[in-house]
Amino acid sequence: MTRSRGGAVARRVAGHLIRGLVMVWVVATISFVIIREIPGNPVQGQYESLIQKGMSPEQAERATAVLYGFLPTGSLWDQYTGYLGSLLHFDLGRSLSTPGVEVTTLIGHAARWTVLPVLAGTLLSFLLGVTMGVYAAIKRSGKLGDLLALSGSLLHGVPVYVIGLLLTAIFTTLWPILPSGGPVDVEFVPGLNPGYVGSLLQHAVLPVVTYTLASYGGWILAMKSNVVAVLGDDFILAAELRGLKRGIVFRYLARNAILPLFTILALSIGMLFGGSIFIEEIFNYPGLGLLLVNSISSRDYALMGGTFLVITVGIIVANIAADLLYTAIDPRVRSGGSA
Amino acid sequence: MKRLAAIAALASVATATACGSGTGTSTGTSAGTSDPSGGVYTTIDGSKQINASAPVNPFNPVGSVFAGYNGMTLAWPKNDPIDPNQFYPALASDWTATPDQSEVVIHLQPKARWSDGKPVTSEDVRVSIGLAYTQGGTAYALDPKAAGAAATIQVVDPRTIRITQGANKSGTFLSNLLSTVVVPAHVFGSLLPADFWHTLKVAQDGTGAAADRAKAVITGLAEKVIAFSPPRDVSAGPFVLERVNPGAALLKRNPYFYNSGLIGPDKVKVLNYTGNEQIWNYLIAGKLDNAPFTSVPTAVMDRIRETRGSQVIKGYSPVSTSMAFNQSRKPYDNVHVRRALAYLIDRNQVTRIASPEGGTAAATTSGIHAKAAKAWLGDGFGALDPYRFDPAKAAAELRAAGMTRKGDRWAMPDGTPWKVEIHVPASFSDWVSAAKSITSQLSDHGIDATVVTAADYTLYLGELAAGKYDVGFWLIGLGPSPYNIFQRLFGQANGWQMFGGHLKHVAPGAEGNWMGGPETVDGVNPGELTSRLQFASPDEQKRIVASLARVANEQLPVVQLWDYVNTQFVNTSRYTAFPPDDSDALRLSSGVWMQLGMIKKRQA
Repeated sequence: MTRSRGGAVARRVAGHLIRGLVMVWVVATISFVIIREIPGNPVQGQYESLIQKGMSPEQAERATAVLYGFLPTGSLWDQYTGYLGSLLHFDLGRSLSTPGVEVTTLIGHAARWTVLPVLAGTLLSFLLGVTMGVYAAIKRSGKLGDLLALSGSLLHGVPVYVIGLLLTAIFTTLWPILPSGGPVDVEFVPGLNPGYVGSLLQHAVLPVVTYTLASYGGWILAMKSNVVAVLGDDFILAAELRGLKRGIVFRYLARNAILPLFTILALSIGMLFGGSIFIEEIFNYPGLGLLLVNSISSRDYALMGGTFLVITVGIIVANIAADLLYTAIDPRVRSGGSA
Repeated sequence: MKRLAAIAALASVATATACGSGTGTSTGTSAGTSDPSGGVYTTIDGSKQINASAPVNPFNPVGSVFAGYNGMTLAWPKNDPIDPNQFYPALASDWTATPDQSEVVIHLQPKARWSDGKPVTSEDVRVSIGLAYTQGGTAYALDPKAAGAAATIQVVDPRTIRITQGANKSGTFLSNLLSTVVVPAHVFGSLLPADFWHTLKVAQDGTGAAADRAKAVITGLAEKVIAFSPPRDVSAGPFVLERVNPGAALLKRNPYFYNSGLIGPDKVKVLNYTGNEQIWNYLIAGKLDNAPFTSVPTAVMDRIRETRGSQVIKGYSPVSTSMAFNQSRKPYDNVHVRRALAYLIDRNQVTRIASPEGGTAAATTSGIHAKAAKAWLGDGFGALDPYRFDPAKAAAELRAAGMTRKGDRWAMPDGTPWKVEIHVPASFSDWVSAAKSITSQLSDHGIDATVVTAADYTLYLGELAAGKYDVGFWLIGLGPSPYNIFQRLFGQANGWQMFGGHLKHVAPGAEGNWMGGPETVDGVNPGELTSRLQFASPDEQKRIVASLARVANEQLPVVQLWDYVNTQFVNTSRYTAFPPDDSDALRLSSGVWMQLGMIKKRQA
């Protein structure tokens, strides 16, 4: 019995992995084609931009020639097979916009700046949204429930850049107590010293709060809806009739209502590799989202492809993890949905 | 709760460790403190995005080298409207050039030293020139026949270097030489192979396969030079890079700088920015001592002006904005239509709406910024048609073009509706505002006009070059070199290209010819005249500029809308002695201002 269950799990994991690899290949191929079909002349664009920034035509010409001296050459098919071959060796190539630097290095540097605000924001908004969602459902006929549901609807409807700009205006110009941009004050020596860590956390406050507020609405509304659905289930009624304590009933309620949200949470964590473009742009936070935007505007094909791929792989891995996690935490899925 | 606190603390430690590997080049100061005597000067470099992954290498376009601070050239260009050879001394204390610029002798600052204490010598300049050859460029072209290419580089003594120009002389040779970025030979010298100078000679003077092989060897070094990452910054400028992270670069004073006594601040912080609104916020919060100009809405501008110590410095900027026509498309192939549009656009109104702080309405269309045009043309400037707003003249021009009036709208000669589409990149807010103002004005006078935006500037330029637009915005007047000025109107975009040292005119729609103008106008070949500007004597240049300005004014390949004003924000709360309005140094970085003795700590 144990051996057969172990075999089933192994088959399930293997199936997920194969599907994941196929998806990675498909996405890598699609992103390769799309990237090369993006119209525009990056060389001319670079030259004109430098001139508008005050460079002399000679300086701009020199800088542009240096930057785009190594445009991709060869037929599309050659480039594609070369690209796939490199991918197998985890070689994403060299960046055009940061000449001489490996794409993996740039992605590695950007990833760590994405993880702090997006992961912290995701987890904070999840904890806050789930807790408030339960209260909003239980107190749904009272003023507190209405207020909580209203806060969720409002924040869910406000675009993230509006929240970001609003917080920036309040806390960096009207009441300037927080830094308006950058990940950390460069005056502090990097390392485990109070000044550096303090500056790091201080600079992360606005991006994290923005991300938390932008995501909170979705969690609270989803959780409220799930709890309301579970509240009508027989086992809750039975628990109440049996006179179980409120805390125990609350635990039954929360554990059952939160199950669908785990999948979304896992996917959100997978999505964090995409960063949050608006938040990173508003707060000059040098994460993956900003890296992707910059790579598109500079037509840095290698960097674009690499960033797309990392984001995609993150989501695929999260999807697989969510599926496996769901199997582990929900007995109904484990037993084939017969429960 | 305790567990949560522990997790939070661990997360902070992990994050600090993970995010703490920015490029550091020294031990640095204690956290957040600095010597209080000179303070920290905070600025933004508008021409470069800070990239903490890039090396400290000026040959890398995103390298952490900041001109005027830890990046030094032989000299710094003055903001002269007509003479590209006017410079302030930098690592070169002085220089002499023969009248035809066939020979230039450069003397280095006697006290110049690198930040590691070693002297700056002619060998450093020679190695820097060698490295510049790997990147290509006007003065350092491998083709000896290229206009303005250097022929010989000779170290005369440790502080003197002589450079001669090849047979194809250019009036900007001196300017290109003095703009050479100088790097330390003891750091970068190993990038050049031992036989580099011999290889260069073969590439320039040799023939056949040997010369081709030599050229390939030299250009093959380019990638290696760009990717080179010195272990630490060695600077001959007033500052040396202390560390850089993705949000900012920190530079500390170089004690060996030859004019160290002139430098006020102890440190300079160069902030990165990803959008104009960040600069606005910094300026409103009074955090920047200097910032480049960005388009600013009036309300934001008012708030910036209210900030204590906030000031705006204005001066000459040799760039103008124009509305350009694709003359291979109807009805813009007809000069009367172009003139009619020029008469219908109230440029004062457009400038007031689009660029009230950063521009002045163009006095006329000459292809040249008004200040430079007056210097070049003298009384001739007044003889050009100013194309003042005049609907009656516009109507007459439209009728002369055969355009017809259908009700209150103008139509094409065959009676079909005339729709003017003005293309601009969406990211240039001043251009979008200007285009909207123009469409509104045209609509008021019976011409249907719309604004079409391109997603970004790269896409815009690509589609423009492909001839997909009838009318689009275009930067012109890129002085001070007259060749650069007119190359924008009568260069590649209008069909003239150099092939093997010969000028050729390609057909409209081909090889980037999107302006589609005729090759000759009344017997004048404007492309040929423009090309001659590279080699002409000053007197001949004046004559050519006068001819080309007249052709531009009469033929209107573009309608000049406004001339840019170099507008800089400064804050005098912490530092004073910024350059005055119209200073020759206004287009240079704050680091150069400091080298010139400007920017002093405000005394309490």
